[in-house]
Amino acid sequence: MKLVFGEGSCGIAAGARKVRAAVEKLNADGAVEVGITGCIGMCYLEPIVDVYGEPGTYPPSEASAEGGSMRGGNGEPLLARLVRVQEKDAERIYKAAASGVLSGVKDLEISADDKEFLEKQTRIALRHCGLIDPEDIAAYEAVDGYKAIRKVLTMTPEDVIAEIKVSGLAGRGGAGFPTWFKWNAARNAKGDQKYLICNADEGDPGAFMDRAVIESDPHSLIEGMLIAAYAIGATKAFVYVRAEYPLAIVRLEKALAAAKKAGLLGENILGSGFSCDIRIKAGAGAFVCGEETALIESLEGNRGMPRLKPPFPAEKGYTQAPSNINNVETFANVAWIILNGGAAFAAMGTETSKGTKVFALTGKIKRGGLVEIPMGLTLRDVIFGIGGGIRDGGTFKAVQMGGPSGGCIPEHLLDTLIDYKALGATGAIMGSGGMVVMDSHTCMVNMARFFLDFTAKESCGKCVHCRIGTKRMHEILTRITEGKGREGDVELLQELCNGIKAGALCGLGQTAPNPVLTTIRYFRDEYDAHIREARCPAHECAVLKKFEIDPAKCKGCTMCAKKCPVGAISGEPKKPHAIDQSKCIKCGQCVATCKFGAVSVG
Amino acid sequence: METPELITLEIDGQSVSVPAGTTIFEAAKTAGIEIPNLCYLKELGPYGACGVCVVEVENCPKMLRACSAKVAPGMVVHTKSEKALATRKLALELLMGDHDGDCQGPCKLNCPAHTDCQKYVKEIAEGRFADAVATIKETFPLPAAIGRVCPHPCEKACRRNLVEEPISIAQLKYFAADQVRKDGNEHPIKVAAPTGKKVGIIGGGPAGLTAAFKLAQWGHAVTVYDQMPEMGGMLRYGIPEYRLPKAILKAETDAIAALGVTFVNDFKIGRDADFAKFRSWFDAVIVANGAWKSTAMRVKGEELQGVWGGIDFLRAVVTGEKPDIGERVAIVGGGNTAMDACRTAVRVGAKEVFVVYRRTRKEMPAEDIEITEAEEEGVKFKFLYAPDEILGKDGKVCGMRLQVMELGEPDERGRRKPVPVAGKFEEIALDSVIAAIGQRNDPEGFADLPQTQKGTIAADEGNFSTALPGVFACGDTVNKGAGIAIGAIAQANEAALAVDAYLRGGEYRPVKPILSERELTEKDFADRPRIARAKMPQRPPEERRNDFKEVNLGLSPEVAQAEAKRCLECGCHDFEECKLIRYANLLQADCKRLHGDYHPGFVEQKLVTIERNQRKCVLCNLCVRVCAEQAKQGLLGLVGRGFKTVIKPEFQNPGATAVCKDCHLCADNCPTGALKVIG
Repeated sequence: MKLVFGEGSCGIAAGARKVRAAVEKLNADGAVEVGITGCIGMCYLEPIVDVYGEPGTYPPSEASAEGGSMRGGNGEPLLARLVRVQEKDAERIYKAAASGVLSGVKDLEISADDKEFLEKQTRIALRHCGLIDPEDIAAYEAVDGYKAIRKVLTMTPEDVIAEIKVSGLAGRGGAGFPTWFKWNAARNAKGDQKYLICNADEGDPGAFMDRAVIESDPHSLIEGMLIAAYAIGATKAFVYVRAEYPLAIVRLEKALAAAKKAGLLGENILGSGFSCDIRIKAGAGAFVCGEETALIESLEGNRGMPRLKPPFPAEKGYTQAPSNINNVETFANVAWIILNGGAAFAAMGTETSKGTKVFALTGKIKRGGLVEIPMGLTLRDVIFGIGGGIRDGGTFKAVQMGGPSGGCIPEHLLDTLIDYKALGATGAIMGSGGMVVMDSHTCMVNMARFFLDFTAKESCGKCVHCRIGTKRMHEILTRITEGKGREGDVELLQELCNGIKAGALCGLGQTAPNPVLTTIRYFRDEYDAHIREARCPAHECAVLKKFEIDPAKCKGCTMCAKKCPVGAISGEPKKPHAIDQSKCIKCGQCVATCKFGAVSVG
Repeated sequence: METPELITLEIDGQSVSVPAGTTIFEAAKTAGIEIPNLCYLKELGPYGACGVCVVEVENCPKMLRACSAKVAPGMVVHTKSEKALATRKLALELLMGDHDGDCQGPCKLNCPAHTDCQKYVKEIAEGRFADAVATIKETFPLPAAIGRVCPHPCEKACRRNLVEEPISIAQLKYFAADQVRKDGNEHPIKVAAPTGKKVGIIGGGPAGLTAAFKLAQWGHAVTVYDQMPEMGGMLRYGIPEYRLPKAILKAETDAIAALGVTFVNDFKIGRDADFAKFRSWFDAVIVANGAWKSTAMRVKGEELQGVWGGIDFLRAVVTGEKPDIGERVAIVGGGNTAMDACRTAVRVGAKEVFVVYRRTRKEMPAEDIEITEAEEEGVKFKFLYAPDEILGKDGKVCGMRLQVMELGEPDERGRRKPVPVAGKFEEIALDSVIAAIGQRNDPEGFADLPQTQKGTIAADEGNFSTALPGVFACGDTVNKGAGIAIGAIAQANEAALAVDAYLRGGEYRPVKPILSERELTEKDFADRPRIARAKMPQRPPEERRNDFKEVNLGLSPEVAQAEAKRCLECGCHDFEECKLIRYANLLQADCKRLHGDYHPGFVEQKLVTIERNQRKCVLCNLCVRVCAEQAKQGLLGLVGRGFKTVIKPEFQNPGATAVCKDCHLCADNCPTGALKVIG
């Protein structure tokens, strides 16, 4: 039998390597085959170990539903998926694998409910994630890897672009611009040297689609880039990846070296006469470098600040030469499209949005992780169908789409289709795939403040509207969450939002007001409650919280008074206690301590 | 060479043809349309930071930056559309709300006439005394006189107060005037070609003389009429000789006459001509006849012989009437006129002089130095007393009954109100009583002009026009009534502008300029070395109390220069050239509306001869770019991110100074006053 550990960053962080080391220690004789794979996508169940083997060795009475229905990268049947494994489980996992009897780990098996998470997905960009060893080129080749580039090398660049046009693939970085159009513009631009750039500077808080692809299936990115380079006529390519993704960089480096060794990269690829080299450039952690012109500045060794457009990069990009920039997920779809045909891709989705989209589902969701679905599903399908709804029995309030550049979508719009146009109409955006779910305990003003804190800090400082405007918006939002809001602040915010959208130089500034505009649009009452009543309806804004003890419920056990770090609670034993509001620092210790539910937060 | 294709487009309704590849900004320029910008320099190409040059193009959903957007055939550009102006104004308001700089020094702003104190103090510091006098005379013609008498609101606002003591701005002013008069090197004042218009001014005090001085320079034929035998108004007849020698005042009024202004003395409206007739002699008239009537105390016995009005007494002394006030004199009041009166009483021979004031010394409106000097000269102060009745014998003053007062609740100005202590009185024996409690105008002869409730002439607070066309009024005679000389001068300057506009067929309306101002405390100056304020040499009290010779002996050039060097130079050196403030005024961008935290503003650092004030930096990046691309040095760079971004020598390298060619391109191209070339 074979044990495959999910070792994306998330699995490793959850302890996958420790469990694997423990298993390997027991496996000195090599009775069990041990391997790794990338991110399976079920972050909430990490660490995950998949058990592969011949079905015959597994007693049918104990057969997992996975048996037969799922297969590994090389077609091996997946016998069982063990979740939330811990170091202490290593021994019985090893024993089960070595003996072929899995009854001893039955309790670790994924539940039928959780299996829905993957079953309801349609994976194109993530097609190999969690199934193959990302550090082994042979594993990629075994799943039709590098077949697409071989096919492309027999096509004309124009035909490649035509195929992509048929697919309807649009830029997955957020803007959703047709990919074929950009490729065509770069192909037609005059210049002896053209460049291809992969934007892997994934900076939205809570987004990790690109990281998962690079960590789990780096060759798919390389192959997609080679196809694009061939189509536009580029011989030099870069992957601009944030330095905060060390594992992605290591795996991509390994993959590049292996591809080069296999003659798939460098001079005269596969004897076709086409040459292309790919270099990695690690970004220094500036969010704005995800903006394509700032990314180019950074690539050139300058401070990452956006340039004026036009000229667009297709005309004057890296070192003023024609350049094409696409996002990781965009490239990850390309080989599939070439092999399966653009029409197959276009068959999925809606009139205006074709194919699939990957989302990083996070927040107050029951099942958080990586989700890839065909365009045209509803938000409800994703959040409730795949994500399982709100965790801890909470109530859905809103979902933030597209990170700091996006907007929130409230409950009554949950049936909105996942489609560039439909999402845009709500005031939010498709974005690169961040999907942060919020429940009734999330204060929408505070949420907007959080994102403005982010954009204000991440503003490059170049243009006035963004540099000072986002700072002022953050100041206003901060005073509102502190109960110091003024009448007219909402209107002032709206004025700033519209002015910044109109005046900011790049996408960062132009979209920074979106979280504020959408929260005002859908949750104006929360703003008003903060400003007019110094009240936070979600009870999240610390300054506005008021802790009170219900004398009817208080038994006078004195526990809260003992726990209170500032001595704000007093009372005689066995008599109702009271909180001195002037001393209270709103830490919440009393609520956590009270066994009788006597402390309320208002 | 190939001629580029010509492209025709429309900008603000004008058809413009320019070669293909031209930016909207340059195209607009050829049509004479200025698009504001802060970060654009043609030679460097577009940069796009300031967002001030945004324009709206029809059928284009986004605002375009004119500095970079290229023209296209048939393009319809609106540089002043509502949206373009709003976006531009927002950029300017964001910049102004983050601009931690003083456009002008508090001294200049707090001077009612906005005299450029900082400029002339600097000129004095540099030993350029004649330049200093010329600077002062840009505002008014009487530096030696006003320097001696002004209660100097400039000094009250002086930031040096936050270090130790204010700059002696007033004393420096008259030092410069005295020095230049002594040296005989005053710059000649230019007079424009005659306009053929005639202006008649009633009143030869600070207001009338200032208006005459200005209007004469602009080519108008000005005649000043005054009821007294000499010009100068209250400066001559209200201010005692020991504070302002008549000869010094005369020299300054003579200089006004030298510009071609005609002086007519001993002329009074109503007596020598009626106002309607007077008006008919001129194209425009300014009424600036002051406030020459003493306010009555309204107590019993006020009609007795030996009761004087403060200004009447002072005028009588000046005109040589030798008023007989006896040996024991009480002056009622706590203002500067009361101080002038008591000290004059000492000088005309009174043996015992009292000042009766109903509050305490702390509340006295008189200058502290005046009170001190009066005390030194033997004046006795009776605080917390109010006149209740003037006692008489044979129709002559023999004493005064005083009501004892105490301080009660503060009034709306924060000054504690004096209230009588029931039944407590005191009597003093006196030969005369001088009531220096206020003065008012005399409307007699000006019935044609509408009056305020106070009985003053009603004039527009902005341009000092009256209800009668061509008649303007300013100074102590209008609106709120008597004030300080420099206040009257401020009004006269506005009135002169209004008269000039009127004579040219227009109308003058002052616009309050938008200015950036810093709010500072002592903490901001904690690291400043303390330097004591210059001490004015004076004649000893026992000597000076016997005569009318000037009390102050004046500053020496050395002391004056050292004193002037204490100036903190708060006002921005670049105010006249600053693009930011020019556009802020053009678009009426509010400085305070979007104010919040300031970006990090480190104190100045030097790069050979360049001083940087990061507080004023708008991050246009022109200095960084000219240094890299034109000077080919690349010494400067942006450091930090977002709101905390600052410009520093690249990589904060202290060695940058060694490489700097000192070409000044950075400072020359700075759109604000963030960079300054220092000696």
